[in-house]
Amino acid sequence: MKDLLADRVVLITGAGAGVGRGIALACGGAGAKVVVTARNPEQGRGVVAEITERGGTALFARCDVTRRAEIDAAVQAACQQFGALDALIHNATSNRSPEPHALEDVDASLIEEHTSVALRAAFDCAQLSFEPLRQRQGHYVLLTSPAGIEGSATLPLYSAVKAGQRGFLKSLAKEWGPQGIQVNAISPLSATPALVRAFEANPTLKTQLETLTPLGRVGDPELDIGAAATLLLSPASRYITGQTWVVDGGRFLGL
Amino acid sequence: MAQDGILDGRRALVTGGESGFGAALLEGLCTRGARAESIAIGDPSREGVHASFDAAVAALGGLDVVVHAALDPSLLESRALCETSGAQWEQGCEACLRTAVFVLQASYRHLRGRGGRIVLVTPAVSTAGAAGLVPLTTAVESIRIVAKTAAKQWGSQGITVNSLAPGLDALFDSSQAPRVALGEPGLPDFDPQRDVAPVLGFLSSEEAGTLTGATLRVDGGVWMAG
Repeated sequence: MKDLLADRVVLITGAGAGVGRGIALACGGAGAKVVVTARNPEQGRGVVAEITERGGTALFARCDVTRRAEIDAAVQAACQQFGALDALIHNATSNRSPEPHALEDVDASLIEEHTSVALRAAFDCAQLSFEPLRQRQGHYVLLTSPAGIEGSATLPLYSAVKAGQRGFLKSLAKEWGPQGIQVNAISPLSATPALVRAFEANPTLKTQLETLTPLGRVGDPELDIGAAATLLLSPASRYITGQTWVVDGGRFLGL
Repeated sequence: MAQDGILDGRRALVTGGESGFGAALLEGLCTRGARAESIAIGDPSREGVHASFDAAVAALGGLDVVVHAALDPSLLESRALCETSGAQWEQGCEACLRTAVFVLQASYRHLRGRGGRIVLVTPAVSTAGAAGLVPLTTAVESIRIVAKTAAKQWGSQGITVNSLAPGLDALFDSSQAPRVALGEPGLPDFDPQRDVAPVLGFLSSEEAGTLTGATLRVDGGVWMAG
């Protein structure tokens, strides 16, 4: 995997922790120049430091994905400081994603909270990265979930926006394919900080999840999800577009 | 007709029922015995949608079936994503999802504890994708899956929630539908508006109480994946 992404420039939203961090570390380890974007500068710069300490190349760009200007600035930073943009991975999700809610109770502000980060930001990231990605025949990647395929009994709005992202990527794959840009999604299961907190709150949850997973464990954000992301961005995957890669040890087999 | 009287006594509201595909669905409900009325979404806020439903249900004298067929026509305009403005995205895609959520909620308010049928029209193109229609397929796929979550959360109230997925040609006068190459229909004589009615008739009936969270593609047998 060491030089699989040599000379590629990869921008990741929400890369300060969890899956975003895992993908950033993996891409950096594979030789990519990584643009780590996050709302929290301390977290983001921490990930940059981890990449550079391992011999990789990275820079931090503060980015709240609900602010189009910040997405634009991050894309510009990639192009100006690293010379190009080969991949944009829109991983950021609402902080309220794991909060259970009843569909009959949701109001416009909670809908906006989810749609602004998952859908509006997907729209903005796509528009703002199109030209650089077209020049490099690059990749646009979203992070989705089984909730977006089969619906979650406890997370209606999270399910809705994750589903929306799949509707988004299929049409965009058809639209951008002639431009040479691949558009795909990854659906991960890994021990993110949110899931680890859930395990601490409910000690049986980890065992339940492991039991439901054919490969018997919850994934690692870098070694499992990041590895798959690296593969998706690599030359080996040059003929793949419009797809959702489910990287979860086999827990979800509904695709 | 085999479905004569299948909806006798059932009270139905159809959003978007005043014209086009919604009107065809409403007519199909009526010919099967339902008391069906079109409901216009005026004020699209949560309070506005709920108030519209409260008034419509009061006029009907109750509620058994809701069909959400209303669709902002701007979503059917083919346009490159990079030529789509933020306002078009928000007023098309995001407003579409928001309205569907509020319609689901309003339906729930009147069906909970008594049971009922909610059917959302989710054009089949959302699972196939189509260049030029990113806002449409984003919104519709969101709605199709939020319907499943409603099915999971409200089943204990006797409420079923399903999606009806027509082809795009059902939503247009035939010459105006965007060209989305999904293949030839298995049923060459399929009428995209008229021939959806029997499936909706079944979905709306008392008989269909064991079907929920499903997507029924009724497009003449064009898109069959999944």
